[in-house]
Amino acid sequence: MELILEGIVEAFRLLFGGDADVYQIMLRSLWVSGLALLVASLIGLPLGVTLGLSEFRGRHLTVATVNAGMGVPPVVVGLLVSLLLSRNGMFGFLRLLYTNWAMVVAQVLIALPLVTGLSLAAVQQLDPGFRLQIVALGAGRLQAFWLLLKEIWVTLLAAVMAAFGGIISEVGAVMMVGGNIRGQTQVLTTGVVEETRAGRFPTAIALSIILLLLVFAASLAMTIVQQRGRRHA
Amino acid sequence: MPDGPIISARDLSVTLGGCTLVHAEAFDVLPGRTHVVMGPNGAGKSTLLRAVGGLIKATGTLELAGKPVCSGRDRAVLRRATASVFQKPYLLSTTVLGNVEIGLRLHGIGARERGRRARAALELLGIEHLADRRRDGLSGGEAQRVSIARALAVEPQVLFLDEPMASLDPPTRRSLMTDLFDVFSQRSVSAVWVTHDREEAAAVADHVTFLTDGRVRQQGTASEVFGRPQSEEVAGFLGMETSFEGVIEAQDGAVCLVLVDGTTLVVGEAEPGPALAFVFPEDVVLLRHLPESGETSLRNCLEGRVAGVRSSGRLRLVDIVRGDLRIVAMVTQAALDDLQLGVGDAVVAGFKASAVHVLPRHHGHAS
Repeated sequence: MELILEGIVEAFRLLFGGDADVYQIMLRSLWVSGLALLVASLIGLPLGVTLGLSEFRGRHLTVATVNAGMGVPPVVVGLLVSLLLSRNGMFGFLRLLYTNWAMVVAQVLIALPLVTGLSLAAVQQLDPGFRLQIVALGAGRLQAFWLLLKEIWVTLLAAVMAAFGGIISEVGAVMMVGGNIRGQTQVLTTGVVEETRAGRFPTAIALSIILLLLVFAASLAMTIVQQRGRRHA
Repeated sequence: MPDGPIISARDLSVTLGGCTLVHAEAFDVLPGRTHVVMGPNGAGKSTLLRAVGGLIKATGTLELAGKPVCSGRDRAVLRRATASVFQKPYLLSTTVLGNVEIGLRLHGIGARERGRRARAALELLGIEHLADRRRDGLSGGEAQRVSIARALAVEPQVLFLDEPMASLDPPTRRSLMTDLFDVFSQRSVSAVWVTHDREEAAAVADHVTFLTDGRVRQQGTASEVFGRPQSEEVAGFLGMETSFEGVIEAQDGAVCLVLVDGTTLVVGEAEPGPALAFVFPEDVVLLRHLPESGETSLRNCLEGRVAGVRSSGRLRLVDIVRGDLRIVAMVTQAALDDLQLGVGDAVVAGFKASAVHVLPRHHGHAS
């Protein structure tokens, strides 16, 4: 118990004392997960909405694939990316393995099915009559798409935030493709693992607190936006 | 205003997986007229409306103001020339004014003109005070008024209404019907109105298309369809629960329907031969005793017994049996109390000759 209390006190000293290592790890985490989330959202949101609105041969298989993708364990994604980026892999020539870019790629692959699947579900919750009404108002294809997006933006935001929560706290894939190299590819989750293994509990607790605060801040932001969205519905 | 139809459809069919959902040989929307599409649930009314409005693909010929509507681009032009109101209001997550402006925005109308026309439409529907409210704060009736204002704001050549009153409570429905009636008259609105409610249809229709199972069973002016149903199906839907089967004959200078059991009914004009006849429940009068000759103008008085009493809103439907015949009368509860009628009591059902709607057997598919 004493160890934990001492660890927490030391953690706050590291946090508020401006420890360079801790801040560097935090910023790297935010950069990797933020960029991965941006890419996954730019692809996944339009893809999910389009899938939700379209009827085509093979749609059920595509939707099933997306849904299955939401449940793929991150370590499997890590393994796949490692194989693809390894020296003898298909993209080995890019020399990305054990870099921040490799972690971005892995997190994009983890976040993409989440964003796509959840935005697809958001569109499917819309009454089909709503779309018909928008088309009947004279909207073209793109105008209808935009108006529908505005109707479900709160749910889409929830999809994005859920994906953020998933990748910021993910450890297996980033460990495999980033290598957890101190000062280069170490992020919050892999940092906690290493500091714990080495018995440096205060740093591990400090990194954990930051991780928890980030996840909490993301949830809080989403809740605030959702409540505002509900008031303005 | 042009005389010809604004929208004209010929041999219009909507099919899905090889199955024909609806087919109409002819369907016209005339300027300033309300064309009601009526029929029971699942008859294909909404599908027909969507096909005529260019919201779904259909085979056959469709024209807007004489110009053929063939391609997807033509259907888009048709959609922009018309406006639709559905059973649910489907308001966007913005203010009431924003909702009414959205159609105008999609039509490329500038901000100032948009605001003016949107406010005028709100005023027309009596909801200008709701302009800044958001959709969650509206009642069902208010939301439907916003939806109608949104449709009228774009000044459509044809307004499509798909069961617009179906989800409203009776007082709200009556109030909205009255206001819509005024708006339609003031603006000479050309409309296609889908409903399964015969009272609603009777209140607004200039022309009627009656559908069942995706097929047009009768088409004509409102007085033709409501006054002279051409099949048992239409008559039944219109509420003519009393039907007689017999032969039309001339007797003593009157046209009569002689029933199988020998009962003779005096009817209006009708061709001799086998026929079916229908009577509206509200045209049947109940009496405790047969009237003396000259005591009443009712030409037909049939003795029977009360088999049951059903509710129909504030009124009562009295089932009377006489052998194999079943006659239904609609009366008030007060009238029922005055007559002191109960199940099993003897009663006389009377109706005028003009209340008997005769359908020659060769016209319909009566069986």
